[in-house]
Amino acid sequence: MNETPQSSRSVLFLAVPALILLLPFAYSLVAYVAGADTAAARPFLEKPDPKYRNCVRETAYMRFHHWELLRTVREEVVRQGKPSETGLKQCKNCHTSRERFCNQCHNAVTLNPDCFGCHYYP
Amino acid sequence: MEVKYERIAGNSRHYYLALAAFAAVGLAGVLCTFWVLGQGLWVTGMYNRVPWGLQIVMAIYYIGLSAGSLVISGLYGVFGKLEYKPFARTAVYLGMLFMIAGLLSILTDQGRMDRVFVQPFVHFNLLSLFSINPMLYISYILICIVYLYALFRDKKKLTRVVATLAFAWAFGVHSGTGAIFGFGPRTLYDSPLLPASFVVAAMASGTGLMIALLVALFRLTRRHLDDELVFGLGRLLALFVLVVLYFLAVENLYLVYQVEWRAAALYYLFGGFHSVIFWVGLIGLGCAVPLFLLFYPRTSKSIPWVVTAGCLVVLGVLCERYVIVIPGLTRPPEIFPGMEVSGPGLIEGVASYAPTLVEFCQALGVLGIIGFLFLAGLKVFKLLPAEARIAKQAGPAS
Amino acid sequence: MDRREFLTAGGGLLLAGAAGTYAVRLLTQAGAVEAVTAGRHRWGMVVDLRKCRPDCTACLEACRLENNTASVGDARWDVHWIRKVHVKPKNGGAERSVVLLCNHCDHPPCAQVCPVQATYKRADGIVIVDHHRCIGCRYCMIACPYNARYFNFKESEEWPNKEFPKRSHGVAESCTLCAHLLDVGKKPACVQACERAQAGALVVGDLNDPQSEISRLVSENSVKRLREDLGTEPKVYYIGL
Repeated sequence: MNETPQSSRSVLFLAVPALILLLPFAYSLVAYVAGADTAAARPFLEKPDPKYRNCVRETAYMRFHHWELLRTVREEVVRQGKPSETGLKQCKNCHTSRERFCNQCHNAVTLNPDCFGCHYYP
Repeated sequence: MEVKYERIAGNSRHYYLALAAFAAVGLAGVLCTFWVLGQGLWVTGMYNRVPWGLQIVMAIYYIGLSAGSLVISGLYGVFGKLEYKPFARTAVYLGMLFMIAGLLSILTDQGRMDRVFVQPFVHFNLLSLFSINPMLYISYILICIVYLYALFRDKKKLTRVVATLAFAWAFGVHSGTGAIFGFGPRTLYDSPLLPASFVVAAMASGTGLMIALLVALFRLTRRHLDDELVFGLGRLLALFVLVVLYFLAVENLYLVYQVEWRAAALYYLFGGFHSVIFWVGLIGLGCAVPLFLLFYPRTSKSIPWVVTAGCLVVLGVLCERYVIVIPGLTRPPEIFPGMEVSGPGLIEGVASYAPTLVEFCQALGVLGIIGFLFLAGLKVFKLLPAEARIAKQAGPAS
Repeated sequence: MDRREFLTAGGGLLLAGAAGTYAVRLLTQAGAVEAVTAGRHRWGMVVDLRKCRPDCTACLEACRLENNTASVGDARWDVHWIRKVHVKPKNGGAERSVVLLCNHCDHPPCAQVCPVQATYKRADGIVIVDHHRCIGCRYCMIACPYNARYFNFKESEEWPNKEFPKRSHGVAESCTLCAHLLDVGKKPACVQACERAQAGALVVGDLNDPQSEISRLVSENSVKRLREDLGTEPKVYYIGL
């Protein structure tokens, strides 16, 4: 039997674990490309009743930073005792369905926020 | 004294089998932990009256074992006993691994493991031992890494400094761990002696483990080990066990003697299954039998018997950790002194605790992970010496 | 010195600097454990055992329904923020029932030992858990001398009060004195239930206000607190203990 030369053995030693580590990323990539056209990948956020004129913040901010806002509010309400108008409890006054609003984006990116395990959101 | 360290060959079937076995057990523990994460801690034997169980017992046990391993390396690094230099690297490596095991055990016991990686470091509480201790544990691991570096590069001065630092740190770490209980308000926890007795029991268990492990390792890898080195460790072990017995005696006599604590003491000594573990496991098998074996001339000069004594002490200290943690929780806190309290549910009265299969699986899993790391380390790093002999000629250290 | 020594020294200095900054930040944070209560409410409770009927469970039920405490049908994991126990002197005497709950101590051992300051004392004296931060180490349960703290071992499927969060498994908790109700000027659930049950044994009020009912009760009656010898300074006063 031929002895595999030292250099190609070291390459194997690195290549095999690297390939195994890359597997999850490869799977994600394939799943993303394959699912790019399906309904789940196109979130449709239900707009609240037009009678609610005041939005909390502009859409672009909310889309990217609503969780930061919620976290800041949480710190203030829970630890500093300051009452707030823009906490999770008040979201459902305008956005009445978690399935048709929050879950639309969260499901599309497979995100499972911790909040709904404790805080009721219909 | 020049010691030649080498890797083990590690290409026998037995070696790979052992490695695979440890890895499999470790993996089982990891899977178990994921299951507990999903289900909630109700799948363990813990409940609202006994909120700490096997995982905490194992955590403090592993932390204790890490001190003991460090004692062996301290014999060379701090006290300059050259005949123990061959064991230094193995001892420090094992000490580091056991501290990792302790941290892993604590980690898998938390209700919200995901938060443990962030919150204790961002929101520190100086008044909480549970906050200070993980910092001590992590810095202990870092010190062990520097220690290993000093040993591997054979830097004598750095070794001296780091070894002393590690020794002192071990005292701090283990006193802190003992203080988690000793500074607590439960009657059977509350004791200023607990930090000190924790340190000594840790050293006893570590020394016992090292005796057994070194003899096994050297025999399995066909390396020479001078019997006198083992007997020396045996004498050290006997000393540690004597001090452990002393602390146990003082703590328990204090409780029994005082009218105020007598009821608690009688519960501890005679009031439940933990009493069997105390008398048979700790006092009998853990202290009395090893002391006999280590002092009786015929057995104290026999390697198999000294190894037996070591193993028994290892078992005994595990029993000691159990009786530190569990009886304090099963005995109800004295909300109404002098009154009998009963109530619906299981909150009042004497409780009982029995670990479930899941907890055993997690505990073994931690052992599997560090066993794997240790065996792999023997092959990857030059940990074991070629041989362990006491130098024939006395003279200045080389 | 050569390049290697320079790099090692530089790296060491950087590490030491970072560690030092972190240490300073940690140590200056430690004062957040207990807060000053001057000038605010100081909530306390009076339990009048003379008015408490032994077989009545109104407060227990009301607490569970208001706060969504875990009720999984197993005594090991059921959470009872308020509970009733039977107490009988060891040397003979009548058996009585006592209502036990978190005492909202002024020197809470639970807040002292919480490694992440998830359990803390609010400025108005209520000891409460921040469930977003709790890591579930259960040290607070060990530290409480009144056995008043619970852990969510198993999640309950019921959610009786959807206006209030329920806790998922893995966090510790105890009675909040219905802080969410006190903050909007209402009475805690147990107090309301006791009033509805025509007993009125539970009174919650502001100990800082000399005109409040609780201040009057505390000053006019012979009140006792649990384990006053421990120095925890509980704020639940018992009449008729």
